[in-house]
Amino acid sequence: MSSMPASFDQAVRVESRPGRLHAACFKAMASPCEVLVDTGDADLALFLGEIAAQEAWRVEQRYSRYRSDSVVARLNRSGGRSVLVDAETAALIDFAKSSFQGSQGAFDITCGVLRRVWHFDGSERVPSIAAIKPLLELIGFDKLTWQSPWLTVPEGMEIDLGGIGKEFAVDRALALVTAQRKEAVLVNFGGDLACRGVPRSGAWQVGIEQPLELLQAALLLELKSGALATSGDTHRYLMHQGRRLGHILDPRTGWPVEGGPASVTVAAGSCTEAGTLATLALLQGAGAGAFLRGQGVQFWCQPPA
Amino acid sequence: MQLKPDEEKPAELPTLRRSLVAASCALLSATGAVHAENTDWQIDSALLYYQEGKGRVQAVEPVVSVKRDFGDEHVLGLKLTYDALTGGSPNGAIPSASPQTFAAPSGSSLTQNQQVQTYTTASGRTVRRLDTFSLYTATPGELPLDTSFKDQRVAIDGSWSQPLTGAVKLSFGGGFSKEHDWTAMNASVGLSRDFNAHNTTLSLGLSGEHDAIKPVGGAPIAMSDYTLFQKLGQESRSSTGGQIGLTQVMTPRWLLRLNLNYDQSTGYQNDPYKIFSLVNADGTMAGYRYENRPDSRVRESAYLESRIAFRADDVLTLSYRRLKDDWQIQSDTIDLKYHWALSDDRYLEPHVRWYRQSAADFYHLFWDATKPLPQFASADPRLAAFTAPTVGFKYAVTGPDGGEWSARLDYYFQTGKNVQKGPGVLAPLDLYPGVKSIMLQFGWRFGL
Amino acid sequence: MNQSLRSWSLIAGSVLLLALTGCSTIGAKPWERARLARASMQLDDHAVEAGIDDHVYFSKEASSGGRGFGGGGCGCN
Repeated sequence: MSSMPASFDQAVRVESRPGRLHAACFKAMASPCEVLVDTGDADLALFLGEIAAQEAWRVEQRYSRYRSDSVVARLNRSGGRSVLVDAETAALIDFAKSSFQGSQGAFDITCGVLRRVWHFDGSERVPSIAAIKPLLELIGFDKLTWQSPWLTVPEGMEIDLGGIGKEFAVDRALALVTAQRKEAVLVNFGGDLACRGVPRSGAWQVGIEQPLELLQAALLLELKSGALATSGDTHRYLMHQGRRLGHILDPRTGWPVEGGPASVTVAAGSCTEAGTLATLALLQGAGAGAFLRGQGVQFWCQPPA
Repeated sequence: MQLKPDEEKPAELPTLRRSLVAASCALLSATGAVHAENTDWQIDSALLYYQEGKGRVQAVEPVVSVKRDFGDEHVLGLKLTYDALTGGSPNGAIPSASPQTFAAPSGSSLTQNQQVQTYTTASGRTVRRLDTFSLYTATPGELPLDTSFKDQRVAIDGSWSQPLTGAVKLSFGGGFSKEHDWTAMNASVGLSRDFNAHNTTLSLGLSGEHDAIKPVGGAPIAMSDYTLFQKLGQESRSSTGGQIGLTQVMTPRWLLRLNLNYDQSTGYQNDPYKIFSLVNADGTMAGYRYENRPDSRVRESAYLESRIAFRADDVLTLSYRRLKDDWQIQSDTIDLKYHWALSDDRYLEPHVRWYRQSAADFYHLFWDATKPLPQFASADPRLAAFTAPTVGFKYAVTGPDGGEWSARLDYYFQTGKNVQKGPGVLAPLDLYPGVKSIMLQFGWRFGL
Repeated sequence: MNQSLRSWSLIAGSVLLLALTGCSTIGAKPWERARLARASMQLDDHAVEAGIDDHVYFSKEASSGGRGFGGGGCGCN
């Protein structure tokens, strides 16, 4: 990718793994990423790993809100003017719209403005209701004007595709890699993963990290098809009146969801779908398990700390 | 440790899950075609075959245009054109009652067997005199055609456009075109700005061109006797132009564009190969002179285009252009196309064009030899008064990869208006036979 | 500037004025742009074909250009 700055972070390394597997490892989206290939050929793993890495970096560059040259940053700077978006961004916004409508407003790409007052740094700096209230005016996918391919983000509002960006990148990378070769492949970007094909060992062994304070071994899963995504971050919280507030904010109240699991892992057909379901489950608070059972998916909940 | 997940599958998927499955499928299939960074090459190519009736000009012209979108509306365009012409071109002389013999003045074919002598006139000008040449003869009543006409042209054009600030867009263009006797260079710069939520676009453009002209054997001395072959060296001309453009979305299915153009050209305007006939009162030929045109030309034109969308994917495009210049030529062009979508992947496009122009004030089909020569005179049929309709159609098919294949056939015919009758023996002859031609074009465009 | 061009400028001016004053009946809202977004509704959608036309007509007629920067560039006849 010509526009990416060269740095030591942008390297793909190949490791041999048990079971005649090879893993191509790299860093993207602030996470360790790997592409597991059922092959004894390290060069093939490197070739496929580089395709996945290019795609991960491309998606990160386009949709990261931390990059001033990203599509998202450009839309957020548009000052209320309608902007013509490319086909890929249009498809992502269509997806966000469906998810918003299907979840009665719980899944909302416009809720990022709440970060202006919420800082989940482990302190007790909880914003006042008065500070939150005006921000609620700036939240709501239905306040955007979306007529593909034209998007209008009203002045003051923000969109953030980061909530689905990583899972989308996993699905995209898997599609690009499997378009090249027939070998069984698993693409894992920081715990959000998707596979195609079963390795000769029988199933993919997937470890999902657990928070340290639980002193529990990693959750070990066997995966034969489809995708897994995990939502929740036990390191990001605030203390409020002796209680611990997780970082999952309900876009409709502007307040963290209380009483829910610390993290949720969902299995589904695609990583994008799994990730969206996991995010929606966390927004249900204590009802996360019941919600996911209702959706008919396999899931694993991490109890709150 | 291995956990067994909860497994309680409902008989059918709940609504939310179903819509999520559908939405993620739509997302991943919509972006399936997006292949890393390589999506934004657009290649548009065409091959034109052009043929005029009665053994006149024949041309083959392949064109390849490549566009690269670097994202954020930074677009680079490159276009390569080649064309090869052969066949006969009118030299400007009228048909005669008796045979007429001319020396081949144009085309590269002459360069092999010519001998040129150079001498200096009394006024100090260097004159080149052609002594040996190839000859061609027009039979009685036949329009004299220089059949040795042969030319090749290569042209390359480039453009770059990018946003300057939010709503302002900047574009640059440049081109270079080369024939054995003609070299042209041009450059342009344009600014455009969107208003009213992209409903109005206002654009301003400036352009400049410089042509270096090196006629075979030298440029003839204007109005000189054709048989003397008095020729000078090379010539040049340059032009500058300006354009104001306005594009307006009128309704969700109607788009209007209006362009106003101004163009000023100074320098050598003559066609170095064109002559005109001197005719005696009885209709016999008294001789031929090289043409002479003013050394500047100012043109103004207005162009209005309307596009209206109908039905599924039908579009009616109607345009009108009026042009006026200070040679007193005035022209009107009406062009009508109907993009008729036969299905999702095929369309038929009937096309009608109608053109008319008045003659330049110094245009003369021939000159009465008994009268003194005028300051300016040309018998170039392009400066005459005529009407010229075009009818044709285009058929295009879109392949499964999104590429478009097309074939186009157009028929063009020019008919002279108020054609002057010749005196004496010329009276029964058609002095301005006009021209008929067909254009057959194959096109292929695709993205990479 | 001659008479006809003056009247053209007048038309251009009034369309522009109408547009700039934000007349609500003119134009299309972002969600009404599906038709305008079609390839067949793009001005200059067949630039190569238009270039060929310009070249052919330039070699037969005294007029050229209008659509964009056009005409010139060759001594063809």
